[in-house]
Amino acid sequence: MIDVEATRLVAERFGLDIGAHGPTVPPERLLELARALKDELGCGYLCYVTAAHFPEEKRGEETLPARFVVVYRVRNLDRNTEFPFRCEVPIDAGVPSLAGVWAGADWQEREAYDLVGPRFEGHPDLRRIMLPEDWVGHPLQRQYAIDTPHAPWR
Amino acid sequence: MEMIAPQHGSVSAAGPRVLPRANPYLDIESYEAEGDLMVLNMGPQHPSTHGVLRLKLWLDGEEVVKAVPYLGYLHRGVEKLLEKLTYVMSTPIVDKNDYVSSMTNEIALCMAFEKLEGTEVPRRARYMRTIVAELQRVASHLLWLATFALDMGGALGGGTSVFMYCFRERELILDLFEELTGARFHYHYHQVGGVRHDVPTGWDARVHEVAARILERIPEYEQMLAENPIFLKRTRGIGRIDVGLAQELGLSGPNLRACGIPFDLRVLQPYAAYDEIEVRTVTAEGGDVLARYRVRVQEMRESLRIATTLIDGLPGGPIMGRKPIETPNAVRPPAGEAYVAIESPRGELGTWVISDGSPKPYRAKIRPPSFHALSALPWLLPGTTIPDVIVILGSLDPIMGEADR
Repeated sequence: MIDVEATRLVAERFGLDIGAHGPTVPPERLLELARALKDELGCGYLCYVTAAHFPEEKRGEETLPARFVVVYRVRNLDRNTEFPFRCEVPIDAGVPSLAGVWAGADWQEREAYDLVGPRFEGHPDLRRIMLPEDWVGHPLQRQYAIDTPHAPWR
Repeated sequence: MEMIAPQHGSVSAAGPRVLPRANPYLDIESYEAEGDLMVLNMGPQHPSTHGVLRLKLWLDGEEVVKAVPYLGYLHRGVEKLLEKLTYVMSTPIVDKNDYVSSMTNEIALCMAFEKLEGTEVPRRARYMRTIVAELQRVASHLLWLATFALDMGGALGGGTSVFMYCFRERELILDLFEELTGARFHYHYHQVGGVRHDVPTGWDARVHEVAARILERIPEYEQMLAENPIFLKRTRGIGRIDVGLAQELGLSGPNLRACGIPFDLRVLQPYAAYDEIEVRTVTAEGGDVLARYRVRVQEMRESLRIATTLIDGLPGGPIMGRKPIETPNAVRPPAGEAYVAIESPRGELGTWVISDGSPKPYRAKIRPPSFHALSALPWLLPGTTIPDVIVILGSLDPIMGEADR
């Protein structure tokens, strides 16, 4: 169930509509929203952080630049409600890290960075987590071929 | 003697619920050691790391001061594979994620695809899903209990006794699954819209037989473990995690319920046939290793009760809710996005899928409960000693195939 109070907060303070899959928050206000959700509304449970890569695409005359969509979902276990939100950034810009708000965001963001590629600014320890440190590229980006050669050992 | 009282649903806020937090980002360069500072690499081929996990531990004398887990030894690129395979072809791939509980992996994936496609699963198939999920939970908890007791080693009178007993009982459930699906570990039983095989003749009677036999033997394990003073000394108060940190880290399943939070998706967001049966959430107080043990043992009893009740009331009708899947491209959900979570034996197993209208997912993410459980290690391990490290790691029930994907 979607958290009603969070919906109201996002509408009143941020002027955003939650739409079908949660509001898209501008990166500069992401930390503010995260703190409000955790400290004011008691959403202490971080369900997941993940990201998806969308390459440059042409829609008629318009060209949409390549971008990352970083997706979050938090819960309030007392009220049994959840609240998804997301943040869209161009491919070369960073996303503010939420590791200072929810401790679990540390590993979640490392995984999203490792496999998809957005850089989380202010992250305490942004290293690859699944792949070796010297891996080139981020496999879950759309242009990354599944048979991309890599060194067999190191 | 320690009595194990069944604890259903009730949660009291007694006891200190906020614990001082360890610093997982300790700067080891500026750390002033009291004894000898030593770096110990545990794993990746250590028998107690439950798969291939490497723990880098900094020890000050005997005490762990910093722990850094290294994952990825079993990374197979499952999420990339899901993007390259069609919806129909992806079910057998996720079987291998949580390889001791394949049934729930398939259910989580198929339910996300069904939500995207808008497919209704018939009642008989929903019952079947619930029954196999609950039997799988018992098999998975038995395997956990076996390896957890083995981690404790010879202290438990014989060392491998509990291990052997639990595997003996788990075998009974695997036999049931083999009869139902033809496979012992990787079943490929579920598909978008329903299940693939109907119940064989006499299977329900055998489920009852197996359930009765396991129920009869659970007290034997409790006698071997929870009445053993060495077991109690090694588990009580060890690896305590407080409610706030457990929530921030996204712990779920028995690990979170052991902190006294009745978070169970079978009750809170009923799926399959869980809305037609009463599920009693098992919780325990304390958030330590002993509490996690209690929750899992009690959950086995609950799961057997649910499975046997449902098999008695198994409704008739079809087991497939859409036209038969005959080609790899048969499932083609409209463009959209869905997140579906189920309660796997380890906790919240979620699938987040984006569809662009083609026969392959645009992006699929699996939210593995084991990954979240492992992320608690840098917080739990500082301040403990090596024997406790093994017990704490075992109590979180991580499956590396699922954490690394």
